Amino acid sequence: MSMFVSLTINGLAMGMVYALLAMGLVLLVRAVGSLNFAQGDFLMMGAYVSFGYIYMLKMPEIIGVILSVITYAAIGAAFMVSFYWPVRKAKWSQAIMVCTLAASMIFKDAANLIFGTTTKAPSAIMPGSLKIAGLSLQYQYLIIIGVCFFVILGVFTLFEKLYFGRMMEAASQNKYAAELIGIPTILTMAATYMISMTIAGIGGYLVAPIFLVETTLTKLQLRAFAGVVVGGFGSLKGAIYGCILIGLIESYSTYVITTYKDLVVFGALLLTLVIRPQGFFGESIAEKA
Amino acid sequence: MLEIRDLHAYYGAIEGLKGVDIQVADGSITCIIGSNGAGKTTLLKSISNVVTRKGSITWNGQEITGLKPTKIAKLGITHVPEGRQVFPGLTVRENLETGTIGWHGFFGHGRYEEDLDRVFQLFPRLKERENQKGWSLSGGEQQMLAIGRALMARPRLLLLDEPSMGLAPLIIEEMFKKIVEINRVSRLPVLLVEQNASLALEISDYAYVIEQGRISFHGKASELRDDPRIVAAYLGQFAGQKGA
Repeated sequence: MSMFVSLTINGLAMGMVYALLAMGLVLLVRAVGSLNFAQGDFLMMGAYVSFGYIYMLKMPEIIGVILSVITYAAIGAAFMVSFYWPVRKAKWSQAIMVCTLAASMIFKDAANLIFGTTTKAPSAIMPGSLKIAGLSLQYQYLIIIGVCFFVILGVFTLFEKLYFGRMMEAASQNKYAAELIGIPTILTMAATYMISMTIAGIGGYLVAPIFLVETTLTKLQLRAFAGVVVGGFGSLKGAIYGCILIGLIESYSTYVITTYKDLVVFGALLLTLVIRPQGFFGESIAEKA
Repeated sequence: MLEIRDLHAYYGAIEGLKGVDIQVADGSITCIIGSNGAGKTTLLKSISNVVTRKGSITWNGQEITGLKPTKIAKLGITHVPEGRQVFPGLTVRENLETGTIGWHGFFGHGRYEEDLDRVFQLFPRLKERENQKGWSLSGGEQQMLAIGRALMARPRLLLLDEPSMGLAPLIIEEMFKKIVEINRVSRLPVLLVEQNASLALEISDYAYVIEQGRISFHGKASELRDDPRIVAAYLGQFAGQKGA
């Protein structure tokens, strides 16, 4: 029983981190019509940046976090200017996607150049674990769940409830009509990039004490992809539920086979594609104007 | 008043408009009729600055030729594009809300409940469909939504591109009645681009005929209706359709 609870907590925490990646992924797909293969690198950069502020520049944690978030937003804007803007009118629309592949390599090498190739180990945001009713739950995972919950809720509210988010949605659904009624699509797009990088970066900061800071952090992106597909491609809600499901499946599978947990995760992905290719939680928005 | 002088528009090497002069008087409905590919849609796109063009476009004396599409929308020149272009994943109400961006701004606090009510009064059908997604509407409802969204922008000039396209004859008649109503109630000038020449001439005050990127005739709509050249070229083929 206690095993089950702690596996659930771990799975939930990781699923929510995948959800941070996946939400950014979906927002970008909707805004620019192309997958971002540097999404995992956003997370990795997030881990490096916060490590740099807190451990290399020795800032207090809270100031480091605030500066990190500002830096994440700036990186997001810079990413748009350098990897989207020059190719936005390319005749071959997949040019945008290919550019994100290049960006991914550049990010990894830049991280190694700036921070060095040694693996860095930040300590947990709150070390130790919560002991309750015979259970021992690491604070780090509980913090991840708490922070992710508010970030996910915040982004979701922005897009589903607030005026600004509505305009961003409109611009991503029909750029031409949005321009004609006066929505500055360049601003909504920049905001999308900034939000996307920021939430991924927060994910990086949160998982850094668990996975350590190194360039292999980018591999979490594959779980986010799996979550997006399982949940239903293109839907924010689907991405969130799908990723949590993937996180839980991954966590429970370690009870049986630790070595082959990837097999279980991507097996679940394949199974979804076979029995329900449109995903489990997506709303069916027909591609019709 | 909107005044267009010597307007040229280009699609790559192809010249879509070859020197067009048009005026839209305050409070009037002005229509532009012509066959497919004559340059009607290009003309509206030129006003909104979404095609490459040169020439002069002034709005109440202000030169707007160099302005970005979003700036032109902010001035109150609201373009209802060809093929409606509603936002498929937003509900009817959300679609209407997007229309307010020009005067509301991203973080403004302006209220638009009254604007919504007015649109719902004009198109009760939209009220019934308030929480349905844009893609699920019929063609006529989408056209109402596109016009409603434009009205939410508190327009000072309405550019309508082929509001009759793909609609059943009865719905077209209704749509045109609404356009007249919109124009009469607030003296909102309308520039209407339309293939259905007989209906367009019926509701318009002034009309232009466009042929291969040039204006070939213009005059009061009532006079053009009886002009034998117009009847032969544009009304003959539509006469049967009107009663259908």
